Amino acid sequence: MQTLPFTYSARNLGRSRLRLLLSVMGSAMVVLLVLAAGGFVRGMTTGLERTGDEANVMIVGIGSEESIERSEIPASVASLLDASVPGLRTAFGTTFVSPEVQVQLPVVAGAGSPEGRLVLVRGVTPTALLVHSQCQIAQGHWPRSGHNEILVGQLAHTKLGVSAAALAVGSTVNIDGRDWIVSGRLAAPRSVIDAEIWMPLADLKEATRRLTDSCVIATLGTGPGAAEFADVAAFARQRLDLEITAMTESSYYARLAGFFAPVRAVVWITAGLIGLGGVFGGLNTMYAAFASRVRELGMLQCLGFRRSAIVLSMLQESCLATASGALLASAAAVFFLDGVAVQFSMGAFGLLIDAPALLVGLGAGLLLGLLGTIAPAYRCLKLPISESLKSI
Amino acid sequence: MSEPLIQCRSLTRTYTRGTETITPLERLDLDVMPGEFLALMGPSGSGKTTLLNLIAGIDRPTSGTLHIGGIDVGGLSRSRLADWRSRAVGYIFQLYNLVPVLTAYENVELPLLLHRMSGADRHSRVAAALDLVGITDRADHYPRQLSGGQEQRVAIARAIVADPAILVADEPTGDLDKASAAAIMELLGRLSREAGKTLIMVSHDPACAAHAGRILHLDKGRLVEHAAATVGAAGVTT
Ligand SMILES: Nc1ncnc2c1ncn2[C@@H]1O[C@H](COP(=O)(O)OP(=O)(O)O)[C@@H](O)[C@H]1O
Ligand SMILES: [Mg+2]
Repeated sequence: MQTLPFTYSARNLGRSRLRLLLSVMGSAMVVLLVLAAGGFVRGMTTGLERTGDEANVMIVGIGSEESIERSEIPASVASLLDASVPGLRTAFGTTFVSPEVQVQLPVVAGAGSPEGRLVLVRGVTPTALLVHSQCQIAQGHWPRSGHNEILVGQLAHTKLGVSAAALAVGSTVNIDGRDWIVSGRLAAPRSVIDAEIWMPLADLKEATRRLTDSCVIATLGTGPGAAEFADVAAFARQRLDLEITAMTESSYYARLAGFFAPVRAVVWITAGLIGLGGVFGGLNTMYAAFASRVRELGMLQCLGFRRSAIVLSMLQESCLATASGALLASAAAVFFLDGVAVQFSMGAFGLLIDAPALLVGLGAGLLLGLLGTIAPAYRCLKLPISESLKSI
Repeated sequence: MSEPLIQCRSLTRTYTRGTETITPLERLDLDVMPGEFLALMGPSGSGKTTLLNLIAGIDRPTSGTLHIGGIDVGGLSRSRLADWRSRAVGYIFQLYNLVPVLTAYENVELPLLLHRMSGADRHSRVAAALDLVGITDRADHYPRQLSGGQEQRVAIARAIVADPAILVADEPTGDLDKASAAAIMELLGRLSREAGKTLIMVSHDPACAAHAGRILHLDKGRLVEHAAATVGAAGVTT
């Protein structure tokens, strides 16, 4: 097929500045929306994925595999695991075994709502920093037991709906009716831990009047003699008296991610519907543009150009406009959307505008050009040539 | 005596709109010899454009036959007809139909993009066509920077650039002032005499039609004999 020159498509864009502006901006808006949706979904999924570590095994109460917050296991499990399963990771004579309590508690901070919002509070020992290798103390110091001290994640303020300053080191936070002092800031980038509050395990147990732990998290060793998941699972099975079960941390968070699949679906559907609105808006501009050129299109066919060649040229023209919009939107998304914090029931996460999200955005831009052109092109090219030539 | 280039036999074109049938062309017989310059005259709505479009291969007869250069043009498929048009016919329009976003040069180059040829070959052909119509110095101008007469020159260059045997022109001077019209007619006459093109032109203007070798009158889709018109056929008057 003999195609029309690309310059024809490109220069046709300049025929109406207003239409060019409309199609570039319209496409940019739709793509920005798709990128926001994509960034939301990517952020949520990677947040949950990154929290779970392949090498980590979780021990929870039988029947509480779905929710650690409901899990209760004897406080002795951590030391029993350390003693019974050789080959767990160690450093400086410490085994990577972290007994934890995880509980959602109402937290009031700064100018946030007086009833407080539910935040995941984790009671931990210093081994928690070993097991959760993605976590670091970004500022301040580890909370000392018995001093009412806590660590707050970098996105905890988003979860609480307050400014970051309200959770600065030294400020006071009310957790379940009791005041605590922020001793440090916890950084766990792109992980849901970023929105948590950590405090010494003993303090949280005392404050919530519980004797049991929620879970024990252990890191498997590497190299010869390293423990495998099966070893920990066997320990959990054999200790019938403890009523515990083992699972990998990544499978737990993968399941959590699956639990939020409907939320992601709703986000995609909403973006899709608004995008469809964009397509219908685009149809009008494209139709107006092509309809004013019907005689020219007839002339091109009269010369011997096929309708397919003409449609291709129209597609180039509109995709050029929508792709420019998509690029603008991508740049805007990288600068203004990436990392923007969003809170959800599990905690909070940052929008993630990465390569897959950008690819989806660009694809949406091209699809917009494609869908917005086909129908107007059909309407303008279905006329017999002799009639197109009569059009004014 | 050579064979006619264009042979219309009982050529009929009808349109049906609902229950109504319009017949802009009815059982028309016509032979056009190679190199002939034929003018079609007649009142508005008499079927001149309809006949021209059939000969140009952008419309198909409802019945009857149309042979051009031995090819049954009415029987070609849509895509074969498009290929045939790109080789055999150049169409000159009343309103020029230049692409506003392309320069004069690029407009003339357009039909050549349908044919396999080297860039150098294409360039020399476009240059020759622009030269022939006397518009070389305006090659880089866009249509909006040209006068009507100049636009029509570019359109004529576009029609001849692929070297078709037949040129059809639908009121080529209909939108021009007298001086420009005369210049365009002089150019068309030259194309007929010197380049040997077979030219079929629709015109309302007797002064224009006088450039033709033969004048035919159409009325209500039929050819009517017009003794007065055929007398001065070969003459070139201004
Ligand atoms: N596509 C069409 N549908 C219906 N009628 C048409 C169509 N094209 C032309 N006609 C009719 O055919 C007749 C001849 O038209 P045309 O060949 O354009 O006349 P003219 O001699 O002015 O060029 C007119 O009555 C016109 O209304
Ligand atoms: Mg007409």
